[in-house]
Amino acid sequence: MSRLTTDDLQKIKQKYKDEFTLREGGYRIKVTVHMGTCGIAAGAREVMDALMDEIAKNSIQGILVASSGCAGLCGREPIATVEETGGETIKYCDLNAEKMRKIVTEHFIEGNPPRAYALPPWSDMPFFNLQKLRVLRNIGLMDPENIEEYIARDGYQAAAKALIHMTPEEIINVVKSSGLRGRGGAGFPTGLKWEFASKVQSDVKFMLCNGDEGDPGAFMDRSVMEADPHSVIEGMIIGAKAIGSHNGYIYVRAEYPLAVKRLQMAIDKAVEAGLLGENILGTGFDFGLEIYLGAGAFVCGEETALMRSIEGKRGMPRPRPPFPAHKGLWDKPSVLNNVETLAQISPVILKGADWYRSLGTEKSSGTKVFALTGTIKNVGLVEVPMGIPLRTIIHDVGGGIKKRGKFKAVQLGGPSGGCVPEHLLDTPVTYEDIVATGAIVGSGGMVVMDDNTCMVGMAKFFLEFTADESCGKCPPCRVGTRILLDILTDIAEGRGREEDIATLEDLSRDIIATSLCGLGQTAPNPVLTTIRYFRDEYESHIKHGWCKAGVCRDLCSFRIDEKLCTGCGACLRGCPSKAIVGEKKQPHKIIQELCVHCRSCYEACKFRSVKIMPAGYEGDLSELAEPAGAESSTKKGEA
Amino acid sequence: MAAGPKILIVDDEIVVIKSARRVLEGEGYNVEGALGGREALLEIEQNDYDLVFTDLKMPEVDGITLIRWIRKNRPSTGIVIITGYPSQDTIKEALGLGIIDYVPKPFTPAVLLDVTRRAVQWVEGEKAEEAKVDEEFPPAMAVELDRVIHEYRDKPGALIPVLQRAQEIVGYLPPVVQKRIGRGLNIPPAEVHSVVSFYSFFTMKPRGDHNIRVCLGTACYVRGIEGVLGKIKDALHIDIGDTTGDKKFSLEGVRCLGACGLAPVMVVDQETFGSITPKKALEILGRYAPAVVAPGPREEVEETVEKEG
Repeated sequence: MSRLTTDDLQKIKQKYKDEFTLREGGYRIKVTVHMGTCGIAAGAREVMDALMDEIAKNSIQGILVASSGCAGLCGREPIATVEETGGETIKYCDLNAEKMRKIVTEHFIEGNPPRAYALPPWSDMPFFNLQKLRVLRNIGLMDPENIEEYIARDGYQAAAKALIHMTPEEIINVVKSSGLRGRGGAGFPTGLKWEFASKVQSDVKFMLCNGDEGDPGAFMDRSVMEADPHSVIEGMIIGAKAIGSHNGYIYVRAEYPLAVKRLQMAIDKAVEAGLLGENILGTGFDFGLEIYLGAGAFVCGEETALMRSIEGKRGMPRPRPPFPAHKGLWDKPSVLNNVETLAQISPVILKGADWYRSLGTEKSSGTKVFALTGTIKNVGLVEVPMGIPLRTIIHDVGGGIKKRGKFKAVQLGGPSGGCVPEHLLDTPVTYEDIVATGAIVGSGGMVVMDDNTCMVGMAKFFLEFTADESCGKCPPCRVGTRILLDILTDIAEGRGREEDIATLEDLSRDIIATSLCGLGQTAPNPVLTTIRYFRDEYESHIKHGWCKAGVCRDLCSFRIDEKLCTGCGACLRGCPSKAIVGEKKQPHKIIQELCVHCRSCYEACKFRSVKIMPAGYEGDLSELAEPAGAESSTKKGEA
Repeated sequence: MAAGPKILIVDDEIVVIKSARRVLEGEGYNVEGALGGREALLEIEQNDYDLVFTDLKMPEVDGITLIRWIRKNRPSTGIVIITGYPSQDTIKEALGLGIIDYVPKPFTPAVLLDVTRRAVQWVEGEKAEEAKVDEEFPPAMAVELDRVIHEYRDKPGALIPVLQRAQEIVGYLPPVVQKRIGRGLNIPPAEVHSVVSFYSFFTMKPRGDHNIRVCLGTACYVRGIEGVLGKIKDALHIDIGDTTGDKKFSLEGVRCLGACGLAPVMVVDQETFGSITPKKALEILGRYAPAVVAPGPREEVEETVEKEG
């Protein structure tokens, strides 16, 4: 591709409009197979092969086959979108090669779409119709490997506007008044960050993108980088102009090979088109961009650590000030923005601050992408206006809890966040309101947990993570997280003491107050929130040796309630250690000495006759009230 | 005498060469002399030396130029500098070029012998180590590694990308590879090691033919990755970070692969598998190595039960 001018951008847009509009004589049907990491893992390649194969075999004309990124509803991949001239758009889900072949025959040849494989129309699905797509505007709708498709969807128009018609001050003012806040976790106003860096005099400045999405349970940045890489690049060009930078890096985790590949492809295409490099769009503005691969260190999500890492050193944070806006990468003024933040810069520039503010709240404007996972029905990426209640996201967009479980808590913000219980689900999702619950919005990971999750175990899981990922530079974090973990392990393994809860709380506060960087300052959040909202679970572990969720193996025993058991044998067949005995249609029994506490009988029983009791409990089942799994278990359990 | 280590003394003062020869030849070393940088270059071109002692201040071709040339063309030759002006700057510059040691001028026989003994040991150790590397990784790998080092040499912050590429080439990062990279990029081995040990992506243990990466992220934890991991550990008899005895598989735990929609997830080599159960995990591993414990009837029941639920 030759170097483009602004006129060329318009021409490409028009060309695509003409060519790819489904019309008489042209393409009759467009099939898009969604091939993000999740789609491919679920088998999208086989689906694509089957599609191509079947079209060729039957020599069907007028079908345009395209590939694209994630469709958002990751739990139902592989997904294919079929658009038809004058017809409706149908999304087929849970596909495999065989289903695809059937779709080709029945839909494309016979004109009779197999509805059984299709999702209901968007308008009928809260998962889709409650979403407002800004960051995810292009995702799943275009081929990320084709720059022209991005241009056809208004791509690089904002960069052209910013480079040709706007001064750095004007760019910064628009971003400032839009109220856009950094989506990486801390929520610092993006415009302000740019303003600080723009005011520093320096020959060299760096514009950086943080694609080191380290929070387990968050994957929106991966999805954006895979499905819409140019939007990140465009955001960086605009940011570079605002702060006066001519060099940039995108720091991406090595765990995201597809994202790296697509970003590199996008950069190469943009350079070829004169949208990166020297004299962008003939405006005289230069900006060179490179990818830097992370090497697997959670702490490198912290800005000073990330910069050390790009310098080729151990990624350890340093005290601030000086802030990176003054002394960042190689001691030069630097701005680091998150992928999700950068992806929405171009619509802000094109449509203005008021448009951006039309969604969200006064202090938290716009939308936020959440990665909904855990024991929830609709697993996937959702983008909703800020300020809507958690309950709406979980129960309406997310479709509620999977199978027969009962909602227990939602974990927000990964290892730096906390667990929010049922009674706080009406909390609106804004930076301030979520912090008040003890959690953080963070990068937007939302892991939903049902009553099969032990909250002590959850806190322990996160502390294992942070203790392992602590870089070791400052003792409060290095030593403190280790001690927290030791105490939690003691509690989970039956060595807990009554004073442990107070020790956990005190120590947590000290770690928060004295750690050097965000990792240590937030590491105790999972402990504090689980104690705050689920203290009874800690007490039950310590005082009664009873993990009611049946997760801590040393603190539970599995018993069959003979009154409820129908003798169906499901538990017996599933037991890996053959610890269950009983005749057909007669109540079964678990031989405690052989039981390894694997929970398989508990999950297998449809009649809820398997009960979780304290370790070594031999008394009558009715004496202790219903354990986890039943209504209002916890309170009665204490009685 | 020819069997002893071969040493070249380079100095523009003949008296230095003579006295050094006297001391060293007495101890069985094989010593030659060169009266300047240019003569030294010609001499080294034609003969292999284990060790070169060189003055820094010499007319025409000076010591630093000579050292640079040797590092580039005879990287296995050890270099020791002899200097009458051991100022911080010159020593620092020479150390940066990878010299072993220095001898102050004038020197006593004891000092010279001591430095020589240590330098010879160092060179021999280095050569033994290089020979060992050659056994483990073929020369083609070494050539490729050097090519990568060369490509990144002048880029700022090159160390991590070079280590990543090196791990792709060799499969892991043993001390010899780290040293080679350090030497090539002019970074002390300790610093290279500090970076390797910091990032979880780097490994100093060899990996198996197939690398299993099990996701330990939150979503996978909530959806039961622990059972899967336990099953894999039992079946392969290894723990996280280990490689099986037959070098077929190695097992790694990773912090979230970002495919939470498919939790629990594992990756074998480059392929991602989602919604895995303990049984499915074993089936997948079986595709890579059929000898892995075949799933017994009891797991099949487990699967049926899950579907019913």
